[in-house]
Amino acid sequence: MSDLLSIGAAGIRAYQAALSAVGDNVANADTIGYVRRTVTLATGPTGAGSPYSRDLTGSAGVIAGALGRATDALQLVAARNASGDAARLVARSNWQTRLQTVVTGSDIDTRIGGFFDAATDLAAAPTSTAAGAIFLDRAGQAASGFAAVGTALSGLSADIEAAADSVTGEVNAITAALAGVNDELRRTQAGGAAANGLLDQRDKLLAELGDRVRIDVTTSDRGTVTVRLGGGAAPTLVPENGAAVRIAVRDGPSGAELVLDPTHRVEVVRLPASGTLAGLLEASRQVTAARGEIDALATRFGGAINAWAVAGTDALGDAGTLLFNTAGLSVRSGKANAGSAGIDVTIADGAALAPGGYRLLKDASGWTLSRADGTASVTGAGAITLDGVTIRPGAGAKDGDGWFLDPAGGAIGLSLRPIGPDRLPVADRFVTDKAAGNIGDGAIILDTDPAAAAFAPQPPYRITVNTTGDAEITDIATGALLLTAPIAGGRIVGAGFEITFTGKPVAGDSFRILASGAGSSSNGNALKLGQVRAAVGPGGTMEASLDASFARIGSGLAETNRLKATALAVKADTALAADAVSGVDLDREAAELTRLQTAYRANAQVIAAARDLFDVLIGIAK
Amino acid sequence: MTQVNTRAAHVASVQRMSELSAQVDALQGQIPTTKRVSLPGDDPIAYTRAAVLRRADIASAATQRGIDAASRRLTATDTALESITNLVQRARELALLGSTGTMSPQDRANLATEVTEIQKRFAGLADSRGSDGERLFGGAAADRPAYAVDTNGIMTWQGAGTAPSLDVGGAALATGIEGPNAFGRNDAATGAEDLFATFASLAKALVTTDPAVRLPALEAALNQIDGHVTRLADSRATVGARLARLDMEGVRIDKTTLATRGDLSKLEDLDMAEAIARMQRLITVLEATQGAFVKVSNISLWDLLR
Repeated sequence: MSDLLSIGAAGIRAYQAALSAVGDNVANADTIGYVRRTVTLATGPTGAGSPYSRDLTGSAGVIAGALGRATDALQLVAARNASGDAARLVARSNWQTRLQTVVTGSDIDTRIGGFFDAATDLAAAPTSTAAGAIFLDRAGQAASGFAAVGTALSGLSADIEAAADSVTGEVNAITAALAGVNDELRRTQAGGAAANGLLDQRDKLLAELGDRVRIDVTTSDRGTVTVRLGGGAAPTLVPENGAAVRIAVRDGPSGAELVLDPTHRVEVVRLPASGTLAGLLEASRQVTAARGEIDALATRFGGAINAWAVAGTDALGDAGTLLFNTAGLSVRSGKANAGSAGIDVTIADGAALAPGGYRLLKDASGWTLSRADGTASVTGAGAITLDGVTIRPGAGAKDGDGWFLDPAGGAIGLSLRPIGPDRLPVADRFVTDKAAGNIGDGAIILDTDPAAAAFAPQPPYRITVNTTGDAEITDIATGALLLTAPIAGGRIVGAGFEITFTGKPVAGDSFRILASGAGSSSNGNALKLGQVRAAVGPGGTMEASLDASFARIGSGLAETNRLKATALAVKADTALAADAVSGVDLDREAAELTRLQTAYRANAQVIAAARDLFDVLIGIAK
Repeated sequence: MTQVNTRAAHVASVQRMSELSAQVDALQGQIPTTKRVSLPGDDPIAYTRAAVLRRADIASAATQRGIDAASRRLTATDTALESITNLVQRARELALLGSTGTMSPQDRANLATEVTEIQKRFAGLADSRGSDGERLFGGAAADRPAYAVDTNGIMTWQGAGTAPSLDVGGAALATGIEGPNAFGRNDAATGAEDLFATFASLAKALVTTDPAVRLPALEAALNQIDGHVTRLADSRATVGARLARLDMEGVRIDKTTLATRGDLSKLEDLDMAEAIARMQRLITVLEATQGAFVKVSNISLWDLLR
């Protein structure tokens, strides 16, 4: 009889536990990382009829067994890896998009094209000051375009570095927390609500870690985990028992690389196969590659245009001067600067910069600008100048603040020199004409060659074809014969030029070679910019190699975006599959609730029936 | 037993709707610009190809400007040469008039005065300038008069080199005629004279009183004038041929530009009809998805629990 009462009571207790599990599930329906709890009911243990066990001959009743977590380890691993893959591609896509924006946003291709088109206009109007001014403006735009894209790319590199630092910081925080959870799990009894909470937290931490780097997890019976970076014999991040190993990102020979234990035994490890950090490091390498390409192109552009410029003659009759400065300085603030001052750097035209760069220091005595190698320095209160580098410090500096002025070539270093339109080398160094009385159809082609020095007197010269078919070069001013050379022998070397004959000159035909004086309307050198534009170097013409860089950046982004779409779909699928086991279905919980309520009510009815029976028995005894 | 996780189901529905919204948004960005490709990542191959075409398009506009400038120069040269030809023709008439026996010395002196006037007008025309102030007949020496009196008192060409050339279809085309090629040059060996010298000798012959000297001198001047007429006609023919070549090049550039723009449009432009239809379809699907989401998420067993 009392058996029936305790069976009912056991039922009430068991279904109460089951109902509270359902309540917990419903309450946590929207909690990320919560795993659905299950209560398994079991027949109560039977025995000798002691207070702890039931008589073997009687009925057993029910007890609520261990509180289970509905998980599937394989599904969880699949979901974690898929999520890491997606995180890697999302990070890569975000930074590649920025790379594309930075590079195309500079408009550098239009600017280079505009420069060469202005050269065409200049060749069509060689003496027009307006055409010269437009050409100079376009040259300035091309140089500032390069400088802007160089600066933006260097900023992008710095941003990625900062993002990678923050992700490694998060990874280190998560691995430290996982080591803590391992400790807690060892101390907690398995199967209880506390242990289940810890396991939820463990899985959540593992999922967060998996979003950042690819991990390989081994789980012990107690639920403690050993986490390795990547797969196989990869280095351990979190040991089963002990402190987590820190990671960091640093600059390596081929771009950013991942290192283990940065403060003690530094060990370079392979790039993780997935996770945000992998995406960041990949993007960082692409930015580094793009910077290399743009810098190489800027160097090529500056070099080619400067070489073109010195080969011509300007409107004042002087030899052409350089169009671009190709060296600059990039300013880096000291990491420990306490003040907020910005500094303004100007470099004088043609300044010979120290190859190691400069250091700027603020202390009690004022500002000190010194060469990095320590060979010279100047100290002053306001604007100070050394080697043509002028520093104008802003307000807000604190004593001890420092700046580094690193030498910058490539894109950042390119700038237009301050020259006027009359200094543009539009004209050829020499002009030639043939005498009106020439009988033959011969002509001469003159190539400027500053190194050629066959004779000393200055132009004008006359080339006359003599009766033996040789060319005689004479000084027109004095009539002195300077050189006799066979026409058929190919190139005839003069002073600053080389000539070749075309056609059939007849004895007595003559040609003049004159220096392009001031005010010449020769457009020969301006026309040669067309050849500079069409010149093929590494990757084709300059514009073609820029197009190739754009295409590489674009196709990298397009490829990443395609992979990203797939990875996100896989992530959604695997997450759904894992959630189908672990997540909470409210409808199912509602049904469970109804079922358990009914069972609870029935058990209460059993107790009521037992009480009725007691009442009947007591009534008989009366 | 498979179950539908409530949170995951919500997240999945929302994600599907976001994807649809993103597609609608991308189309919405393309329609106002009418461009399918605006960044390398949209279609790297089309972007690069379009960049090359756009560059060619802009470069041919610059070439066209060069052709226009060269045409202006050559047309101005032709006009000057035409006026000079007329002057030479008039001088020829004057020489013939002066050769007739009925002319009095006073008449011939008047003729000589007119020849001197013609010579002055010719000097002005030989120093004609282009739109940038450059001398049309000075070759590459643009900032000084094409002809000036030298130390011997003779008008001499002061120019140097050749007129600036234009790069047309890979070949250099001179945009002017140098003075000596149009007006001849003095050569004691062959007895050739330039136009200045011819006008001077004509004027001198007309005022010569001795018919035995005058008539052969006029005869010689007439011969020189005939040579000049031929040379001027040749020069005008050269200028005309160059102008015609520039015209042809202009036509070629127009056709190439048309083809380039067509290619560019094929590469970059959005198929508007298709884009709008697709947009409509996407919006319909999005609205249906939203409706279904609201309906499905409203159904709950909890509503039925009493």
